[in-house]
Amino acid sequence: MELSLKRRKKTTIIPGFSLTFGYTMLYLSMIVLLPLSMIIVNTLSMSWSEFYETITHPRAVASYKLSFGTAFVAGLINVFFGTMIAWVLIRYEFPGRKIIDGLVDLPFALPTAVAGIALTTLYAPNGWIGQFFDFKISYTPLGIIIALTFIGLPFVVRTVQPVLQNLSKEVEEASASLGATRFQTFVKIILPELYPAMITGFSLAFSRALGEYGSVVFIAGNMPMKTEITPLIIMTKLEQYDYVGATAIAIVMLSGSFIILLFINFIQWRMNRKFYH
Amino acid sequence: MSIQVKNVSKSFGSFQALKDISVDIESGELIALLGPSGSGKTTLLRILAGLEGLDEGAIYFDGENITNVSPKERKVGFVFQHYALFRHMTVFENVAYGLKVRPRKTRPSKQEIAKKVNELLELVKLQNFQDRYPSQLSGGQRQRVALARALAVEPKVLLLDEPFGALDAKVRKELRRWLRQLHNEFHVTSIFVTHDQEEALDVADRIIVMNNGKIEQIGTPDEVYENPKSPFVYDFLGNVNIFRGRLQNGKLRQGQFEISAPNYLDSHDEAVGYVRPHDIQIEKEKVDNETVAAKITFIHIVGPTVQIELKREDNGEFLEAELTKEHYKNLEIQKGDIVYVRPKQLKVFIPEDFSI
Ligand SMILES: Nc1ncnc2c1ncn2[C@@H]1O[C@H](COP(=O)(O)OP(=O)(O)OP(=O)(O)O)[C@@H](O)[C@H]1O
Ligand SMILES: [Mg+2]
Repeated sequence: MELSLKRRKKTTIIPGFSLTFGYTMLYLSMIVLLPLSMIIVNTLSMSWSEFYETITHPRAVASYKLSFGTAFVAGLINVFFGTMIAWVLIRYEFPGRKIIDGLVDLPFALPTAVAGIALTTLYAPNGWIGQFFDFKISYTPLGIIIALTFIGLPFVVRTVQPVLQNLSKEVEEASASLGATRFQTFVKIILPELYPAMITGFSLAFSRALGEYGSVVFIAGNMPMKTEITPLIIMTKLEQYDYVGATAIAIVMLSGSFIILLFINFIQWRMNRKFYH
Repeated sequence: MSIQVKNVSKSFGSFQALKDISVDIESGELIALLGPSGSGKTTLLRILAGLEGLDEGAIYFDGENITNVSPKERKVGFVFQHYALFRHMTVFENVAYGLKVRPRKTRPSKQEIAKKVNELLELVKLQNFQDRYPSQLSGGQRQRVALARALAVEPKVLLLDEPFGALDAKVRKELRRWLRQLHNEFHVTSIFVTHDQEEALDVADRIIVMNNGKIEQIGTPDEVYENPKSPFVYDFLGNVNIFRGRLQNGKLRQGQFEISAPNYLDSHDEAVGYVRPHDIQIEKEKVDNETVAAKITFIHIVGPTVQIELKREDNGEFLEAELTKEHYKNLEIQKGDIVYVRPKQLKVFIPEDFSI
């Protein structure tokens, strides 16, 4: 009886579950959960009304809107252009392809402050690019979006590229021989295969953009209520030794990103169900 | 729709995959394309579908040159070896795809599409599976979805690349019968690729045998099997025994041993005789010089037939014979016995004409 019960235990042929799972939990706790819980512990020294006041301060609220809004827009821009770059790199042969492929990773390698200074100069009202526009780019939310787009670019390209590479040629040929135009084949056959990778790329670029500080502070101008991002508010509070205030704001950011990422994961799970049952 | 392939050649880099291929296929024929791996079967099919360009030659559908027409306009149904189903679409959506992508003017209404798809799913016996995704189907079911999808656009020509390749023997047999029926019903000109000579002989109106990018022979299954034009075709269409010798007075001689070859009265060449295992007779006594002594090395009983492997006493070559079980019982032979082997049907090829 006991034996037959034991047999029932779900068996899997992949060995090492308990070892790898245990290690994963330990690792995650030490590297991710512990620091994060310190934020909460730190904030607990605040009274509820203090906490509420800090996080709903008009400057803070304006910064949430700015940070989440610009990160979201930058993520969307990256999904569009990142997918296009991946497409061009995979589908066409042209001289210099390898070089462009290498350039894509540059935003990762560059110290973000350098990127920030370079972008600010380019897009300043009298800068190389800025001079052609009769509206301001640097020191506005537009400038922030440009900086965030820049630093998030590699994520979408690098997640979409391998998927595109592995797409079977036959599926496209099947679509063509069934009478579809190239555009229809792209929209109905290729894009759906890319969506999961595009969403992953988006969520990576988005999260990276939310936390980005180095490149944005230069181009943002940091005007309270207008171009002040949440990470900057946190930094300012830290510089004033207001650790508790800083962590309170951090909690808002954390919860916000957590909810959004959870939502993205849910969408992705819904999509993946189609592919891997 | 009739198909004419005229002097088509195709190279991939320096490798010539098709060499001067010409075929005429009549409207409504069911053709089997047979040949060893790498002989260019898929390449030929892809060229017919417009998925691959060609270097030389031309292709005509109903007398019209369509060499440069895009796959989209060719009205060719193509069933891929690995199905190539759209994995993010359900079975229903897969089959409906070809109708849904039509330009608005010729696109059927939603109800018409649904009706048509349901008919097709019924035809391929998958009406209960329409909401499944391809990953939830077995290989044979995927194959049938691929077929239904190709049929949905009412193609004039149906091309099937090893349609039953990945399936087990029983399902293969069932599906090929069913393909034959389907073909009888729809009368669409069809070409299917296969590795399996039995499959080709079983269902096709005509067989094209390919080797090394060239066509070796085109003919009805009977013609190709009974009258192979080259040793390659003979060899490819079933097991063979080979007797090398010299032709003399209408006999193929090999020392004492001679086999009558009445069609070659005037030749005096070195020649190779081919005999199928079921054309080999086994006798226990030596009655004349048309038999050769051999020792039985193996006996396999495979259902109703008995395969016997023998080793010739004179030159040590191996032979294979196939008997009915009844005949085998009457003979009362067993492993290790010396028996006399008589080739009843000999097909002679003279090596100058063919390199073997
Ligand atoms: N895109 C390609 N590039 C280079 N060589 C190719 C290409 N496609 C086919 N070939 C070559 O052309 C030859 C014929 O290929 P093909 O796919 O037509 O063979 P096949 O008869 O279908 O073989 P199989 O029965 O194994 O499917 C092979 O030697 C193959 O290596
Ligand atoms: Mg092939």
